[in-house]
Amino acid sequence: MSRLALEGLRVIECGERVSAAYASKLLADLGAEVVKVESPEGDVARRRGPYPGGAVDPERSGLYLYLNTNKRGVVLDTHAAEGRAALHALARQADLLIHNVPPRDMAARGLAYEALAEVNPRLVLTSITPFGLGGPHNEREATDLTLWNAGGIAYLNGGGPDAEELPPLKPFGHQAEFQGGVNAAIASLGAVFARRRTQRGQHVVISIQQALAAILELTFEYWPYQGLIASRLGRKPIQPLDFLECKDGWVFICCVEEHQWHEFIRMIGEPEWAGIELFADRLSRGANWDALKIFLQEWASEQSVLDVYHAAQQRRIPFAPVSTMGDLLASEHLKARGFFATLDSGGAPLTVPGAPYRFSATPWSIRRPAPRLGQHTAEVLREIGIEA
Amino acid sequence: MTLPLEGIRVADFTWVWAGPHCTLQLAHLGAEVIRVESASRTCVTRLLPPFADGQPGRNRSGYFNQYNQGKLSLALDLKRSEAVAVALDLVAQCDIVCENFAAGVMARMGLGYDVLRQQRPDLIMIALSGYGATGPESDFVSYGPAQVPLSGLSSLTGYVDWPPMHVGISYGDPNGGAHGAVAVLAALLHRDRTGEGQYIDLSQWETGIAVLGEGVLEQSAHGAQPPRSGNRDPHMAPHGVFRCAGEQRWVAIAVRDEAEWQRFAALLDASLCTDERFADLAARKANEDALEEIVGAWTRPQAAEAVVERLQAARIPASVSMNSKDIAEDPQLLASDFFVHHAHPEVGTRLHLGIPWTMSDTPCRVRRAAPCLGEHTDDVLSRIIGYDAKRIAALHEAGVLA
Repeated sequence: MSRLALEGLRVIECGERVSAAYASKLLADLGAEVVKVESPEGDVARRRGPYPGGAVDPERSGLYLYLNTNKRGVVLDTHAAEGRAALHALARQADLLIHNVPPRDMAARGLAYEALAEVNPRLVLTSITPFGLGGPHNEREATDLTLWNAGGIAYLNGGGPDAEELPPLKPFGHQAEFQGGVNAAIASLGAVFARRRTQRGQHVVISIQQALAAILELTFEYWPYQGLIASRLGRKPIQPLDFLECKDGWVFICCVEEHQWHEFIRMIGEPEWAGIELFADRLSRGANWDALKIFLQEWASEQSVLDVYHAAQQRRIPFAPVSTMGDLLASEHLKARGFFATLDSGGAPLTVPGAPYRFSATPWSIRRPAPRLGQHTAEVLREIGIEA
Repeated sequence: MTLPLEGIRVADFTWVWAGPHCTLQLAHLGAEVIRVESASRTCVTRLLPPFADGQPGRNRSGYFNQYNQGKLSLALDLKRSEAVAVALDLVAQCDIVCENFAAGVMARMGLGYDVLRQQRPDLIMIALSGYGATGPESDFVSYGPAQVPLSGLSSLTGYVDWPPMHVGISYGDPNGGAHGAVAVLAALLHRDRTGEGQYIDLSQWETGIAVLGEGVLEQSAHGAQPPRSGNRDPHMAPHGVFRCAGEQRWVAIAVRDEAEWQRFAALLDASLCTDERFADLAARKANEDALEEIVGAWTRPQAAEAVVERLQAARIPASVSMNSKDIAEDPQLLASDFFVHHAHPEVGTRLHLGIPWTMSDTPCRVRRAAPCLGEHTDDVLSRIIGYDAKRIAALHEAGVLA
């Protein structure tokens, strides 16, 4: 019995950086056969690092190595006719082609759906785009930062009631691109599943802006349901749900149910200030958070993060550490689950996030490292009858 | 017109956001998703604002109605053994089971994977939990907003020289749910090829770490994590969000390379193009405070939309920092048919957010508004499970369907 969930699924990936690479990494790590097509200059991710040892080396960029596990790599210059012909020859044998080439460049790079469908009517083409392929703004330039703002999530974060001049704040890294990637994986697999019945491929288009607007939690609906615009500047209505600095790091305290608050007060020895009327219930704790936080911060500054975390969890209070990267790597829980994986970067081993899920029959696995630039060009082209 | 997951049926035991977000993707793809709910343990999101017109009610929640569009609702009080029997009969008719209770809850109700696969040997079951089904902390209590700091994202997020920060939404939930949908679909394809189902254990903590890989890599490669850097980027400058005219109007700008810098500088002030302080990326990073002051002074008197028009005309990435009203009125989203307008029995037609992808041959659409609690109880029991009217009446009588 096959131990690879996506065994036999043949995927081609084109593009730069994160979104297309992550989408096809999700598939590759579950057994799909992915061929990553890079330009002669190589994926921009090769120049993002981090580099073990510090020196820039396009074969040792951590971001590139992480995003491209389990793939074979070819170099094709799709700005040239010969490169586009080779891409189409690859597409003839493939089930799925995932890319994030900008909409205005698709046709010139051999990625027009009509042309690919002629080559292979069973091909699923997945285009990951900032804004979709139609509409008045679909050719606008975009980056992770501008998309996080176009999707409405940035507006909800940063600053605060006492810091209105601070701008809306993005999260670390490439969250917009990662969300584009995971949505592309969902829609691509859906289209592959559809093909069982239809026997036809199709064009799947992801809008990253829409993928982000789709996860605005309860905030967007304030507008159609109550005529209110959600803002980062408001005070949270209920507390405690905030960060406190301990002597050795930060903890996120979270006890918004009354029974959790009372357990917490017992946990910290029933201090006198806890009995103040201003802090009687979660709404008044929210209204008077400025005052309450001072007491709590004073208490926290004497505590260690792990002590607070474990003591609270023992009482079924959902506190969490504000994990640093070092905390994650040291976590006994994550170690017990074998979560982190090791990549060989051609020198010192690199630790990377491992399986995002555990399948009982077809587990996630790393079978080969990310490819060197053009590592499999000759081999892959030979498979489709082209001498490199 | 056929839908990708037409004919696939999901028994949905999920609640709050992570699980429902996972099953929402399956509903988007055309699966028939049946929520198993009870008034005796009402889903948290049904009880949270915003409520239609400010009036509370378990069928009036915008949050619930957004993330449970397209699904059916079967009322079952799973504390009753007769209800568990009904649940087992439902699972026998389903391809997929989803749940996001704390580890062990389903098993204690008599609905663990070992039991369910006897109803349906090729069953695909996914359990989304905060910490995963195994490990020393698997019985810890997980609360959505706490996942962001737990994952490490807060430690990496914040203004320069500021404390760790949240990210504005309970990001671990939809991120976990979306990864869950990928896992379920992969399992479906495997089942299609081999006939074999399986059990998937998804930890929201782990999926949260997966999308901040660069942070882990930096720690692994250099023994230290990237410092919090606000909206800045090590490889692009200017790169930030700047104040515009009006009340809380902002524009996000990213200048990716030297050619873009020259076009950008020319729009602000010709002298910037040759200003040594900003001559290349290294210089602009070294003088980033001064650079951002200049950019901010340029944007401050202008409308955010005008700044975006000017920069986009010069092919420079820029976007208004959109609020909910901006989103609702965005010409690009409107032209893309992104919004959903379905009539809901209690709150009428409200604007909802739709599906972030299109498909040319099997177009996906949200097919109905979110269900009222128990709205499809009789339909599910008769049409899907095959009970006759007498049995259904008896179950109602016994108070099991509540």
